[in-house]
Amino acid sequence: MSDASSAASGETPARLAMSGISKSFGGVAALRDVDFVLRAGEIHGLVGENGAGKSTLMKIIAGVHTQYQGRMRLDGHPVHFRSTRDALAAGIGMVHQELSVVPDLSVAENVYLGKQPTRGGIVDWRAMVEGAREHLASLGIDADPRARMGSLAIGLQQLIELARVLFSGARIVILDEPTSALSPPEVQRLFEVLRGVKASGRSIVFISHFLDDVLAVSDTVTIFRNGRRIVSEPAAGVDKAWVIERMIGRGHEELEESYTGNITLDSKPQAPVVLAVRGLGAGRAFADVSLDIRAGEVLGIYGFMGCGVIELARALFGKLKPRTGTLAIDSKTVRLANTAAARRAGIAFVPESRRSMLFYREPVYKNMSIAVLGRIGRLWLRPSAERDIARRHAEALSIRPPAVDTLLQSLSGGNQQKVALAKWLTWPPKVLVLSEPTRGMDVGAKDDVVGIVRGLRDRGLAVVVMSTEPETVLSLADRIVVMKKGRIVREFAGEAVSKDRLLEAA
Amino acid sequence: MPAFLRSQMRNIAPFVTLIALLVFFGVASPSFATLDNAANILTQISVAGVIAVGLTFVILCAEIDLSVAAVANATGIVVAYFTQQENYVNIANVPLPGIVAIGLALLACAFLGLVNAIGVTAIGIPSFIMTLAMMQIGAGICALLVRGQIAYAVPDFVAKMGAGSIGPIPWIVIVLAVFLLAGHIVLTYTRFGRYVYMTGGNREAAEYSGVNVKLVLGAVMVISGVCSGVAGMLGVAHFGSAQQNEFDGYLLDAIAAVVVGGTSLFGGRGGIGNTIIGLLILGVLNNGLDHVEIDSFLKILIRGLILLVALIINVYVQAVRESEQSN
Repeated sequence: MSDASSAASGETPARLAMSGISKSFGGVAALRDVDFVLRAGEIHGLVGENGAGKSTLMKIIAGVHTQYQGRMRLDGHPVHFRSTRDALAAGIGMVHQELSVVPDLSVAENVYLGKQPTRGGIVDWRAMVEGAREHLASLGIDADPRARMGSLAIGLQQLIELARVLFSGARIVILDEPTSALSPPEVQRLFEVLRGVKASGRSIVFISHFLDDVLAVSDTVTIFRNGRRIVSEPAAGVDKAWVIERMIGRGHEELEESYTGNITLDSKPQAPVVLAVRGLGAGRAFADVSLDIRAGEVLGIYGFMGCGVIELARALFGKLKPRTGTLAIDSKTVRLANTAAARRAGIAFVPESRRSMLFYREPVYKNMSIAVLGRIGRLWLRPSAERDIARRHAEALSIRPPAVDTLLQSLSGGNQQKVALAKWLTWPPKVLVLSEPTRGMDVGAKDDVVGIVRGLRDRGLAVVVMSTEPETVLSLADRIVVMKKGRIVREFAGEAVSKDRLLEAA
Repeated sequence: MPAFLRSQMRNIAPFVTLIALLVFFGVASPSFATLDNAANILTQISVAGVIAVGLTFVILCAEIDLSVAAVANATGIVVAYFTQQENYVNIANVPLPGIVAIGLALLACAFLGLVNAIGVTAIGIPSFIMTLAMMQIGAGICALLVRGQIAYAVPDFVAKMGAGSIGPIPWIVIVLAVFLLAGHIVLTYTRFGRYVYMTGGNREAAEYSGVNVKLVLGAVMVISGVCSGVAGMLGVAHFGSAQQNEFDGYLLDAIAAVVVGGTSLFGGRGGIGNTIIGLLILGVLNNGLDHVEIDSFLKILIRGLILLVALIINVYVQAVRESEQSN
């Protein structure tokens, strides 16, 4: 397919041409002087790390971001969308990673969402069902228009959302991570539908972390890094390693953060297993996860957004009940009925969002003591003991300001993160599970967190670090497993590993 | 507005309201500002006050209990049902020793609270709906036990607590004071009390800190049931009769007392101190309106307007806080 279509894309005119696009958020540049051309009848793959700028560019195209520098031309005419409604009217539609279908309505109603055919002011059901049937068939999608949307597999729901976007008149469709939740046959079916759409002269932007998928379906691949468009190439002529190399930019920029070189993992295969995970599975989120979490070792779990790692963390802390599999602590099987049971079993968890683990309107010391109140006193509170403990942590973790009666909301993000860690450290747990422990932190605060986690590991704690950012895992972990679509696909232990090898495995 | 005043608005606004009402009625009516009338006011708020103690726990958790009045009524009727009634009372009651009757009544209200707790936590019914159903169930229990009749006798101890006094001080006021004090101590000085505030402040964060959030929510529903039940027994003794729909006005009074006092409807802020102020505002308002020349039908409207203003302040304070937080 690629030979013919890439040749075609060279001849066809630009459907959408953007030039000199810059956009910044609060002084931080998200896009710097980007040129981007999307041709009629092409599938254009867009790749780059988190924060490289691809989503920002797509949001400008879709009318989400309305303030930016630069020019945009659609079919040769200059345009500047003031809203998503503007963009839709101009024929630009988007299918997000989180589908926006209505599960309780029928397939036909979803296809016709917001524009049901009517006869005399009453919904014309027959016309709607027949119209939906025809439209879906023309795209090669096999679904009963009367079926309830929520009863269909995710892959099919996604195709129907795509059908809806096309049906509403979109000539450009932006797909954000369309394959992250799909099984291989579902991916193939999506690709067939996309090729059909392309053949009808419409254009598709395909944003994904799954480079194999991007290369398999795209005519052109554009690579973003640090807000710049690095290169656009026909997909037929490039391979995955070539793409990864340009995505992470081999040591050209921000050396200390890029981890492009090899890191030798100091795994400890002899250390005793503290938490043994066997065959854990929970619905669509993850399946058949088996892990040994060892004392004095940091286990890193890396995967893309939506790979199931966030749900896995919740299952380890009793927040999400796994459907299959077992957990054993010190070789004793445990059932975690709720988070309180997990805490008693010796598991501690710091979730990725600070908002969901801290009490903003309470003083720092109450935030730190909440997880250990039962140890300080069974029935009565002992605020002086709470304050003493909090002061000790504030000093040990250099939390600023060190006043423990300060309301949490007046602390900076990095200091808040330290408070979230501190609440588990008074009586150290057996297993500490950290989800995205350094997300959104400045370099100094990151270093502090790395130091704290290493210190805990050296005291014999078993630590699990889960992240969608390779740097986080590489900077912290002694052993790394890679998750992909809910399963563990690769383990790196006692060997050299680098960012591109991680990306390649995921 | 200075930052301190703004941060204390939740506590200051009700207090200023109370002072203003006291001054207004004191000037408007010579019979208002007397010691006797002060005792009157305290007696009048007692039943709603005991209910409000339990409700404070529930609202601090950002939940609601609409069944408090119905549970109070049912418990009052249960305790009368197990007491020997006079011959002219046409109720097929089951006379038992007073202590047993009280025990059964306490079990009944705790059980109704437990049903609320299970509905809200284990099944996951929103408390608003669950307790609405319980409101009807409580009314049903009342109807079944008295069948449209009126019972009068209650165990001696209950009669003494509800209608007796020690010296010049009515026992019912002392019971209210004990409940308010106990509620304050539990909320302020115990681990459970901290969990109530933290669960109300950020439920997700409490859960991720290993707090058994469902247990806390269940416990506050049971506490609310028991407080309502005690209030119901006191009320039956205080009014001198047990009948259907006797407590209907207390649902609004109890909720109003908690909210007017400044406890946040969104959970995590407020406490028994606020509830005391709220009770006094309500008590002074109800009592004071009787002391001034005013259309008695207008009183109902005035109460409604005062409640509306309190709700506006309650929500406004929350909005100010949130905008400060996001800055």
